[in-house]
Amino acid sequence: MEKKSLWAFGTREVVYSAIGAALYAVLSVATNFLQIPAAANVSIRPAVAIPMFFGVAFGPWVGLLTGLVGNVISDLISGYGFWPWWDLGNGLMGFIPGLIYLSIKNFRSGGDILKAEIMVVVGAAVGMFVASLSEIWVSGIDFATSMATNFTPAFVSNIVNGLILVPILMVAYAAVQGRSGR
Amino acid sequence: MLVSFNYHNRNSLIEKIDPRARWIYSVLILFAVTLFWDIRFLLFFLALNMGQYFLARLTWKETRRAWGFIFFIMGMMVLVNTLITSAGTIREVMQGGHPLIAFSIPIFGRSLDFTLTIERLWFALAQVVRILAISALFLVIPFTMDPRQYGAVFRGLGLPDRLAYSLDLAFRFVPTLGRDFQMTLDAQRARGYEVEKLEGGLFAQIRKMAPLVVPVTINAILSGEDIANALDLRCFGLRRRTWIEQLKYRRQDYLVIGLGALLLIASIVLKILGYGDFWLPPALIS
Repeated sequence: MEKKSLWAFGTREVVYSAIGAALYAVLSVATNFLQIPAAANVSIRPAVAIPMFFGVAFGPWVGLLTGLVGNVISDLISGYGFWPWWDLGNGLMGFIPGLIYLSIKNFRSGGDILKAEIMVVVGAAVGMFVASLSEIWVSGIDFATSMATNFTPAFVSNIVNGLILVPILMVAYAAVQGRSGR
Repeated sequence: MLVSFNYHNRNSLIEKIDPRARWIYSVLILFAVTLFWDIRFLLFFLALNMGQYFLARLTWKETRRAWGFIFFIMGMMVLVNTLITSAGTIREVMQGGHPLIAFSIPIFGRSLDFTLTIERLWFALAQVVRILAISALFLVIPFTMDPRQYGAVFRGLGLPDRLAYSLDLAFRFVPTLGRDFQMTLDAQRARGYEVEKLEGGLFAQIRKMAPLVVPVTINAILSGEDIANALDLRCFGLRRRTWIEQLKYRRQDYLVIGLGALLLIASIVLKILGYGDFWLPPALIS
């Protein structure tokens, strides 16, 4: 087994970025259709766990592309147009958890899961913050408005989904990791 | 199945332009629009971008979802910005001005002063025009650009081969994963999983999505190993990649890029000369 590198972008990364992006798009669209009523006006988009998990499992570039491309595709499918700055924010949401990719040894251990959870929160905060800041530049709203209408709802819903689903995905991945022989 | 792209060939004028040229044009125009707060300039860009929208032959039925989304988000932002936090990004709008409505609400012994100035209202209007102009510019892209071309397009724009191929692959995986999701949903339903009736609080509901999300994700990861092996066997990434869809710049493409560049340069020049900042019609305050 070759040594893992944080910034490598080889065949595996190409394939997993593509799979992650397609998965993020499909799950976002599919769960939109299910229309689950949610408490406190937080729309449930469980798919946000996908870029976070792909970042943790396959590295920062895969996380970035999963979030960025996945958001582009899901907006394409649901007919929402094209929003470059929100795509970037979603990308960062996968990129930042990806930074601890090398330090995750065991996807089942409590310590590693906790590390991933912390990065999920940081990633969602930075990602949504960047997207909200660009909304100030594009739409000309002030900082407080952007925090209230753009940042807070997106951030809360993303961390709730991420915190619950990322550990579940990590434990499930631990079970198949051995099978893939890597 | 629920997953499909919105693109189909409309034989419109817009589709005859090279997608690369359109991306460059759109980004140039985005930067040009964001320079201005003067509603006269913003209206020009709104007209320009709506022109592109109509040239693309989009129908209301196709785009109403996107417009609904835009109006909802825009309404929220502009309302909160104008009425509640009562500030714009521009200093002269925040301070002073000519009050239109002013009252104070007594709350817990204190009074909350509320003033809506003509300036702020006019600024909100400029904001609406600006957001609509930018939205119309980017709204057109997904409906008029062939998803099969994205890989080649971004390679042509200078992205590395591997990244462009990854993009291409992502678009190809979407229908497959859509099918996998549907199969998983059906299989879980057959086992008595009721996705329509998820009970419990917010956290419990999200956790109950796991029987759908986990099998689809893990299956996709496992098949990813096979794809990576297949690509490695074919020596993926050793040489420069070629694409089936060949893109060639033609005269009209250079014209479109030229138009975008011209508008951006003109905008920058106007801005330097001092035009384009927030403007209030003098008739409104006299």
